[in-house]
Amino acid sequence: MISVLDVLAPTIIFTVCSVATVPLIAFIRKKTRSHQGLFTLAWISTVFAAAAISIVRLGTEYYGQPQQSFLNVSLAGGNLLSVSSAFLVDSVSVYMSTVYLIVGFVSCIYGVFYVKASERLSERYYALMLMTIGSVTAASFSGDLLTLFIFWEVSAASSCFLIVYRKTRDSLEASMKFLIMVVIASGFVVYGLSIVYGLVGSLNFWAVREALMVLENKQLLVVAFAFIATGYGIETAIVPFHMWLPDAYTAAPSSSSALLSAVVDQASYYVILRILIYILTPPLILDWPYALAIFSAITMTIGNLFALAQTNVKRLISYVCIADIGYNLVAITSVTPLGIMGNLYFFLVGGMTTALSFMLVGIFNNAGLKTLEDFSGAGLKLPATSIALTIAMLSFSGVPPLAGFMAKYMVFTAAIESKIAWLAVVGVLNTVLQTAYFLRLIHYMYAKTPKKPMEKKIPRKLLAPPYLLVAAIIILGVYPALILGLTYPAAQQMGSLTA
Amino acid sequence: MQMALLLSLLIPCFAAPIAYASGKKSYKAAALVVALVSVIDLYLLYTTVSTIQADGRYVESYYWMPMLGSTFTLFVDGISLSMAVVTLALIFSAAVFSMNYMAEKKSLSGYYAMLSLLTVGLVGVFITSNLLFFYFCWELMLIPTYFIIGGWGYKEPYHAAFKFFIFTHAGAVFVLLGIGAVYMLTGTLDMFQAQSLLATASSDILGWVLAAFTVGFAVKMAIVPAHMWLPDAHSEAPAPMSAILSGVIIEAGAYAILRVSLGTVFPSVPATEIGSPFLHVLTIFGVVSAFYGAFTALAETDIKRIVAYSSISHMGYVLFGLSLFPFSEGLTGAVYHLVTHGVSKGLLFLTAGSIMMQTKVRNIDEMGGLAGKMPFTATSSAIAAFSIAGAPPFACFISEFLIFISGVQAGGTDSFYFLPTALMLVATVFSLAYVLRFFWKVFLESPKIKEAKEAPIFMTVSMGILAFLVILLGVWPQHFIDLISSVSF
Repeated sequence: MISVLDVLAPTIIFTVCSVATVPLIAFIRKKTRSHQGLFTLAWISTVFAAAAISIVRLGTEYYGQPQQSFLNVSLAGGNLLSVSSAFLVDSVSVYMSTVYLIVGFVSCIYGVFYVKASERLSERYYALMLMTIGSVTAASFSGDLLTLFIFWEVSAASSCFLIVYRKTRDSLEASMKFLIMVVIASGFVVYGLSIVYGLVGSLNFWAVREALMVLENKQLLVVAFAFIATGYGIETAIVPFHMWLPDAYTAAPSSSSALLSAVVDQASYYVILRILIYILTPPLILDWPYALAIFSAITMTIGNLFALAQTNVKRLISYVCIADIGYNLVAITSVTPLGIMGNLYFFLVGGMTTALSFMLVGIFNNAGLKTLEDFSGAGLKLPATSIALTIAMLSFSGVPPLAGFMAKYMVFTAAIESKIAWLAVVGVLNTVLQTAYFLRLIHYMYAKTPKKPMEKKIPRKLLAPPYLLVAAIIILGVYPALILGLTYPAAQQMGSLTA
Repeated sequence: MQMALLLSLLIPCFAAPIAYASGKKSYKAAALVVALVSVIDLYLLYTTVSTIQADGRYVESYYWMPMLGSTFTLFVDGISLSMAVVTLALIFSAAVFSMNYMAEKKSLSGYYAMLSLLTVGLVGVFITSNLLFFYFCWELMLIPTYFIIGGWGYKEPYHAAFKFFIFTHAGAVFVLLGIGAVYMLTGTLDMFQAQSLLATASSDILGWVLAAFTVGFAVKMAIVPAHMWLPDAHSEAPAPMSAILSGVIIEAGAYAILRVSLGTVFPSVPATEIGSPFLHVLTIFGVVSAFYGAFTALAETDIKRIVAYSSISHMGYVLFGLSLFPFSEGLTGAVYHLVTHGVSKGLLFLTAGSIMMQTKVRNIDEMGGLAGKMPFTATSSAIAAFSIAGAPPFACFISEFLIFISGVQAGGTDSFYFLPTALMLVATVFSLAYVLRFFWKVFLESPKIKEAKEAPIFMTVSMGILAFLVILLGVWPQHFIDLISSVSF
């Protein structure tokens, strides 16, 4: 039997440890000079190990059941159920927490190396990273709209600090932009939630779903969900609400961009997936796929077109994140078992690839290479970093046998399967566009002669986390069954939703 | 032998790092690794021949992605085997040729590692029946090729490589759409299962699926008007790579049209509404490519670009042969032309590379009289060139002959084919014309180059092997033709 404590254990571990990190690291800094990085690393690994144990326990308990169904856990039962915080355990939420854990861990290690390489050791930074991961984990286990909202806001707040961390002019401006967008978004979401509560009398996923199933007049429902979708759309950076993202990810330190793109971004896709597919299941409750398909097409096209025009490489990767949102929406739009599997696979792979690119761009930036011109001849100057970046680019472009290919393949096939082949065609053309600007970057790295001398040497250990991801991208590309096995129950559950 | 096909993919895969490591010590060792790998692969494929002769097809199946209803199926039949054999023969020759040819270039360990990876992609394309894995290998051809052209080519190599990558990748994504659609309609990714399931699927999008596949493959095949990448890529690549590009990579496009477009999807489309117009379109594009390639080759003066344009022309022949589907002589001719053209064009590119290396000149107007100075290269070049022109007793004569008689045969049932067949015969005259011009200007005309020596030993060995194959395939085609015609669609 899974209790509330089981579900919340990873979050509690992350949060408590996050708070404990500040005095602990301060202590380490005071006591030792030589092994600061090592101690920090050990501490962060301990936190993640503890969280991993709790998630694995939860996972084995959940998958140990004879049949994987949706498991609701709430603080209070009976009459209070409608107002109680509720948690939902299903294969999607277990999977998402695993994704955050793995990608978050790699990003945090990189963060420790990176921040140490460029600035002095900072306890607050690590604390915030842990806090972010803890809150998105809780958000993915939420079983009602309010709990989801609260944890989601926590993650937004901590991401804001991750962006501003360096306190440069750009990052202050970017985080201001982000903060304003988040506040507006929360306003929208809260307003939408209040309408839903008025309609249904509860915010619990299943209560809302069942009430809406029998609802006759759906006008108010459309209004409510327009607000909620806009709110979360802003935080996901769906075009036309995307303007904050490139600024934020470019101004933030690369380790933050890596964590944000790999964890927070994927969490925001998860929120959209959960609300649209699990609550507003089309066509039973609301027929939204066509509208979302249009947004998805616009988002990926705009993302790719802007990426094509960028000369700052970090900004280019930020626009790739926007294009990625478009691809994810394609998968959400096709409400099929294959779509869900492709989507969840994309969450992991897309997150890993963007995180990988940000990490590598961070290394290049440290060496003083920022614009495309600077990248001329980088392949000779920083061979290992360049090869890893090339692999990330090829994975983005959907070149097999890298994982990005399988992700795109499943997403597009799902789109064809649900009779929106035009979206698949748009997606495929976008992939070509993407290949074009990635090849341009590869062209700069390998074909041009170096112009700028390197500013400083790069510590080798910075390359360890990226290469973990490179290995994962190759392995998952050749043998995707590793992940597909985990998400297969989610695909099977789709049947019970739409029937 | 059990697992022969799996091994034939795994060995070059693991040989890539070995080639890289041994290349750090000696480039020749790395080349030997690649050559050895291709010989081992040839042996592994040879072990399957008896099964093919008995059952028509040799199949291996492995566990891959059960959630997507996909097993990892490798197979060889007569056509696959012939294509794989040509591939390995060319990889072998390219590796041996590179020992001398590439000797002056830098960081060759990467080059040989890429060559080994390319072997995986090329052989994989021909021996898998899983569409997804087919696509894996299809794209795996791209990356090593991109880096080989870019890293070790001439002039602005990365520019040519970029064009190559973008064009063929853009084509490939259409293939991906097609694969997605096939999976949606049938729930399987296996070509042969899909073929039988599609027949009952009866869907109105099959025409689009067929078009998506064919367009995607035609880009790789460099059919006019999707040929723009070819002249640059083929002429700027190092000669051994040009030989592989012209000899196998573009032919993989033709193979894929036959296997996937025509073999898997085509039988299920409505014959009169979509089927025969589709074939007619293929015919027209075939004829146009044949003429375009021949005319441009006549006007070109760059030695490698002439050969490159001749490849476009010959892919036109092959497409014409394929459009005679399901006439078995036409298909046998088309596939055999892939074999013979692969070997002949590979040889022609190697001789062109040998001339360029020894004279440091690319323009054929500045050459002349090389026959006396480079007799061996001249002889090999003559064999290759006359095979390309379709002169007996060299290899391409047999295959072109088969295509033409089948064209006439097809004209008997569908009078549309008379005119294209006649036009194709005219095109061979132009082939002969550019070949004679090429040979005259390079080898026979009064000498303009003072000093030129015969090519070094490994290059001559490599050219010799291919020249021998060109003659062998011309005078004794029966073995391959039996293998190829044993496959029915």
